[in-house]
Amino acid sequence: MRTHGLTFAAIVAAGALALTGCAFGGTAAGTTHTLTSDGRATGKITIWSWDVAATALKRLAKEYESAHEDTTIDVVDIGYDNAYDKISVGLQAGTGLPDMITLETDHDQGYITQFPKGFADLTPVLGAEKADFDPFKWAAGTDKDGQLRMAPWDSGTVGLFYRTDYFKDAGIDPTSIKTWDDLVTAGETIKAKLGKTLLTADLSAGGPFGMMLQQQGHGYFNDKGEITVNTPAAAQVMTLLKTMNQKGLIKNAKGWDASVTSAKDGDSAVTPEAVWWIGTLEGEAKELSGKYAVRDLPVFDDQSAPTSNNGGSGLAIPTQAKNPQLAADFMKYVLADKTNQASMMQKEGLFPAYLPALHSDFFQQADPYFGGQKVYQTFAELTPKIPSITFTSDQSAASDAITNAVGAAVLGTTDPQKALDDAAQQIATATGRKIAGS
Amino acid sequence: MTASLLTRERGTRRAPGYPRPGSRRSGGRLAGRLQRPGMWFALPAAVLLVVFFAYPLATSLLQSFFSTKGGESTFVGLDQYLRLFRDPLVLKSLGTALLILVIQVPIMIALAVGLAYLLNQAWVRFRSGFRLITFLPAITTLVAYSVVFRVMMTTDGGALNQILGVFGAGPIDWLNNEWWARVAVIASITWRWTGYNMVIILAGLQAIPPELYEAARIDGAGRWQTFWHVVVPQLRPVLIFTIVTSTIGALQLFDENFILTGGGPNNATLTPVLYLYKVGFQQFDFGYADAIAWMLVILTAIIAVIQFRILREKP
Repeated sequence: MRTHGLTFAAIVAAGALALTGCAFGGTAAGTTHTLTSDGRATGKITIWSWDVAATALKRLAKEYESAHEDTTIDVVDIGYDNAYDKISVGLQAGTGLPDMITLETDHDQGYITQFPKGFADLTPVLGAEKADFDPFKWAAGTDKDGQLRMAPWDSGTVGLFYRTDYFKDAGIDPTSIKTWDDLVTAGETIKAKLGKTLLTADLSAGGPFGMMLQQQGHGYFNDKGEITVNTPAAAQVMTLLKTMNQKGLIKNAKGWDASVTSAKDGDSAVTPEAVWWIGTLEGEAKELSGKYAVRDLPVFDDQSAPTSNNGGSGLAIPTQAKNPQLAADFMKYVLADKTNQASMMQKEGLFPAYLPALHSDFFQQADPYFGGQKVYQTFAELTPKIPSITFTSDQSAASDAITNAVGAAVLGTTDPQKALDDAAQQIATATGRKIAGS
Repeated sequence: MTASLLTRERGTRRAPGYPRPGSRRSGGRLAGRLQRPGMWFALPAAVLLVVFFAYPLATSLLQSFFSTKGGESTFVGLDQYLRLFRDPLVLKSLGTALLILVIQVPIMIALAVGLAYLLNQAWVRFRSGFRLITFLPAITTLVAYSVVFRVMMTTDGGALNQILGVFGAGPIDWLNNEWWARVAVIASITWRWTGYNMVIILAGLQAIPPELYEAARIDGAGRWQTFWHVVVPQLRPVLIFTIVTSTIGALQLFDENFILTGGGPNNATLTPVLYLYKVGFQQFDFGYADAIAWMLVILTAIIAVIQFRILREKP
């Protein structure tokens, strides 16, 4: 009985080791197929995207299919909340991903450094047009060897969306607001007169902390890769959010759907959000047409910029794609084309990172949704003022720590500076990076 | 009269006259052994065991000694295990598990025993109906009920706060306040698992021979004395089972916290498995995630052994 058991165990162990030995080693690399840019591929591809980005791709896919014989493009809206889980698992497993995926700009470096063999080199496809793309976006999608892994798609220039009717009813002139403190004062008046909150934010996901920090010229890391989440500027942002919440000016909405619902329900007077919010509003809240306007962000002091960056996205082709060449052709059709980029601005509110598109007539037009305001021009003027910051491979660990710091300081009782110091320490422990100035 | 499940099981296995496997043929060679029909019957199970249990286990153990950051695996020895001790979030997540272990598990087992005892009484009407209702939460899916609880616990307009509002209390910020978020998690897992444990305990109750109650009655024991001195000792093996499985469940808690609170606010409801998931699938630090998993395996084993030892001893 005893030897019997041992033999059995030995078979199991040997089998396990044999399997482990051949398969261990992380990401499986796909074929190193070199892409071209002749635009003559055929067949079928599948693309993962979400929200207005998916809407745009679906629309352009139909046009592409009718212009190119024997092509089928299937765009799947995988939803925002689980998108990165699906992408990460697919990359780690080396299988299960479609021919093309959408990624937000602040995720680029994390994925590029963690999965250096996970994405096809896009330089042969778009390299010739490099000068036409927003340099900040191009750099964010390039790996350390200078190869483009994520193609720039849309920008995340931030402005302040506000409800003109609420400001009018409360008797406040929105142009009189210069600083965030002015806005808080206005928010108190609006709350007293109309019972509406000042702004809706998803505090359980960190809220507008990141974009407000970038407004002050800081990211989570400096250009030496040191941690900068506990600077005085960061403490100022955290204190502002805490003050707003204590005064009951923040409507806390958990998750993307809750944020959209809150806008539809008209909970809050302002939304500091990126330009792609135009598309979400026009798509999801048609009934609010004529009630919104956009302006630059209030500032903290003379040093802070009147805008920031939040998200914006790109397209990438996983090396496990079954038909990478058609994906590349379609990518070029979507991204490096003035007409298509302008149409995505017009129809889905995706602000082009492809600069020639900004010169199209559309950007001079008044938008009836915003009561005839030339909103695109507003954002076009703000875009060059976005402070550049450094993204690192540890963006995800840092943003996780920041989310918790916001929870501790804004929702909880922790002192803002202490919450940020804890976050910095946590990032240092998790990543082995130095805290700047320590 | 020692009707313990464990001893009974052992008894059957050693029953006289049962042919001992391997006693009919001699010879220790594998080829010879494979001729025995029993081995062939075991083969499909063995293959499945290797592919779906042994392989992932071995891989994760191996990977825990490698750092998988930057897309490459480098051997780092015990570094990631040492990092566990320096990581405040590991401690915090274990704290959550401990809180559930110390507060939720006893409440739930006590509730389950009480309910099972009640629903085993002949005088209770509609017993099967009540049993079904109590057990129903256990068959709903984890994700579905968590989502429903999240909706119910929404601060503005959630069902719970509306009910509180009727009584002039609240509203409570269930999911955004560190303290209430813990209460919310504990309440929801108690709702989900009490019925499950009740059914197991009910089975144990029904295995108690009626003569024991009769003997207790003749000896002059009251209802309460019968419960403590007859029912509870008889339930010992069943209780050990429910307590140990609930402990393992507490250490492996994931779904409820992930959906209800995402581990927040400020990691107040972060469980070890949720942390493991974040480290692995959001920060791509798979080696460290494996180290967390193995720490959990070791901890669970230790706690389970301790519980078995303590609970097995006769008072």
